[in-house]
Amino acid sequence: MTRTRRAWHVRELSTIVILLVEIAFFGWYLWPEAGRAHPFLNGENAVLILKYSSIYGIAAIGAAIVIISGGIDLAPGAIIALAGVVCGGLFVEAGWGLGPSILAALAVGTLSGLLSALLIVAVKLPPFIATLGVMGITRGLAFIITEGRYYDVSGRLVGGWRPFGLPQDWVPPVIMIALALFFHLLMTRFNWGRGIFSVGGNETAALFSGIAVGRLKTSVYVLSGVLAAAAGVVLTFVQGQGKADLATGYELDIIASAVVGGASLSGGRGSVLGAVLGTLIFGVLRNALPQIPGATFYDRLIVGAVVIVIVVMDQLLLKRGE
Amino acid sequence: MPPVQGDAGLAFRDLHKSFGAARALRAVSFHVAEGETHAIVGENGAGKSTLLKILAGLVKADEGRIIWNGEPLHAGSPREALERGIGMVYQEMLAFPNLSVAANIFAGREITGPAGWLRGAEMRSRTRALLDELHLAIDPAALAESLPAAHRQLLQVARALAFDCRILVLDEPTTALTDAETDHLFAVIRKLKQRGVTILYVSHRLPEVFRLCDRITVLRDGQFVETLDRATATHDRVVRAMVGRDLPHRADDAGAPAYAKTALEVRGLSRRPCFRDVSFSVRAGEIVALFGLVGSGRSELIETIFGLFAAQAGSILIEGKAVHLRSACDAARAGLALVPEERQRQGLFFNLALRHNLLIPLRQMSKTRLIRPAADWAEATHLIDAWRIKASGPDALPDSLSGGNQQKVVLAKWLATRPAVLMLDEPTKGVDVGAKFEIHHIIRREAAAGTACLVVSSDLPEVLSLAHRVIVMREGRVQGELQGAEATEEAVMHLATTDLKAAS
Repeated sequence: MTRTRRAWHVRELSTIVILLVEIAFFGWYLWPEAGRAHPFLNGENAVLILKYSSIYGIAAIGAAIVIISGGIDLAPGAIIALAGVVCGGLFVEAGWGLGPSILAALAVGTLSGLLSALLIVAVKLPPFIATLGVMGITRGLAFIITEGRYYDVSGRLVGGWRPFGLPQDWVPPVIMIALALFFHLLMTRFNWGRGIFSVGGNETAALFSGIAVGRLKTSVYVLSGVLAAAAGVVLTFVQGQGKADLATGYELDIIASAVVGGASLSGGRGSVLGAVLGTLIFGVLRNALPQIPGATFYDRLIVGAVVIVIVVMDQLLLKRGE
Repeated sequence: MPPVQGDAGLAFRDLHKSFGAARALRAVSFHVAEGETHAIVGENGAGKSTLLKILAGLVKADEGRIIWNGEPLHAGSPREALERGIGMVYQEMLAFPNLSVAANIFAGREITGPAGWLRGAEMRSRTRALLDELHLAIDPAALAESLPAAHRQLLQVARALAFDCRILVLDEPTTALTDAETDHLFAVIRKLKQRGVTILYVSHRLPEVFRLCDRITVLRDGQFVETLDRATATHDRVVRAMVGRDLPHRADDAGAPAYAKTALEVRGLSRRPCFRDVSFSVRAGEIVALFGLVGSGRSELIETIFGLFAAQAGSILIEGKAVHLRSACDAARAGLALVPEERQRQGLFFNLALRHNLLIPLRQMSKTRLIRPAADWAEATHLIDAWRIKASGPDALPDSLSGGNQQKVVLAKWLATRPAVLMLDEPTKGVDVGAKFEIHHIIRREAAAGTACLVVSSDLPEVLSLAHRVIVMREGRVQGELQGAEATEEAVMHLATTDLKAAS
């Protein structure tokens, strides 16, 4: 039998290893003097990291799926802001209930995703251009709605509110983990996910194989829009406000997380779990760096370098695997 | 016209198809009997691919019908065609490199449970059974991109079989295969025929067509010419029907006179693991063929001579002077030219018009840095005429040209630099007979004008008819040289396949 590579993914494993190494490093570097509590390695901080990462993580699930399908979505950052503004506006100003406000925000995300899908599938614009346009439109709408105001959500929330019987801080991480597992399963064990891998691997072959390419691509961008909106709702409640200039530049962090988690921008490769783990890698960095005196200014530089290092390492490993 | 037959089989009735002003098919009617292996041949642009696309449901005919066992086929999509039992194996290997073998086989028609849950184990075991049946030692869980080219091709046949195809269409399936792999594919096809599968075989390679097919349908310029029985058809007859004229026979020339000076000499050249200790020379005006099986190191050798890779040992002499070529640009300035094997990937710029494509090596080598559109236009027009490239003009994009004409563009752009040594890697791979003949003619003309020609080819008849001398390589070493009449098919194949060290 000829030597072949098996279709078995170890990508999540290498991302986990990087995450653990990172945690071990900061655990060692920030080790406190005897008798004092560890500023980084403690349960409260872990929940904090998870809570802030889940904003990126929920959107990164959609981004990973878009990238696997061979596309790209630049709109998530703007959709996060618009969804936050819609949710906050309805909840605070219009006096809607919490549930309907959230549903309205998700509907706005769906429509934004649908617009991207329409431009890509029907008008046949390149995904980069289509989603760049949608990014501008959604961000613009958020500014038009707020006219510079912001909606104070925290003021209207009942104190000691425990959704699903969980402490408030736990809710975003639980939502992120549940969504990640659900979509991971959908991508790896269900026909829908297989179709997306096929389209990303070879779109022409997918068409020739009778795969409903247009419908799949539509579903991918709509999903990315909905998940970005969900991330926007989470951000609004985590920050306590809905504001038009929130989540600026998040789209690039989200794409970077998916890539660090093993997604290939040429399509056909990637993992939902990997993308979520990728957001945790950045989440840990964002949490730990400010605790090192003077390191805050190095934040962006380190994040950029980490993206390059991880992707290059991944390529080297892949080459050796052949 | 074929004899009138009953309902059984596949009938093409009066098919018409135009793309804008171009008429791809005009009133094409012919009949394929059920269970036969039927070849469709014709030059590029004869309408074969359009015909196949209509059959596969990718393109809709303007007029006419296809009737399969008495019922009209209205395949509106590839999926419907598959459901009616028509399986396609395409020329460009259409596979999903990022998916497993089993996933490739079942792409688009996965075995699923509720909500689209993939039954992976079942698909793998059915793949296993299918591959065993084809005697293919492939792991169903292997990634498609890690398979050798031949296996990827056979994977497509397996894919068509997984769905019990009654008609299997193969479009140039052997382009990327070695002889042994072709034999394997043919064995599989014969097995299918025994099972009663109707096979449509499209190929440029007439010897294969004669080996495999019961009947041969010839198309030319979008029209049906004739259907021939293999028993009564001859090679010449089919070629005549394809090109619509007699091809002139090869004028025997004596080759380069022995006193002609050596244009290219290679001494002890090594680049492990591709080839080692290779020495040979080519005189001005001589055509030397470099023959060997796929993987014998021929392409790597000429790419190294052309400066694309650094040699580990040995020297290269051009017209008696030792040269150190660090790049293809150096090589071109030193008088070398390389017409690469994969013209689509290595030879053409699909975003640039012909006038740019044709002048790229020439202008890159010259000292002038300014582009003068009028001069470019005139020169490109001259090249297009001189090489009889069928194109709408210097502004045409390479996409609009047939394979043979694309190859002529690549040849022309290098010959415009007036090289002392012309190296060609599989110059007629995938081109039709007419263009093949013209390319051979061009090579002979260049040689007669004093250019040293080094041709890498896997096409043995081509090697024998074209070359004055044949150098045979095997596993990275020169196995021997055959001059003129010594070079027979048996002698060349013997050198290419036997391990001389083991035999002695």
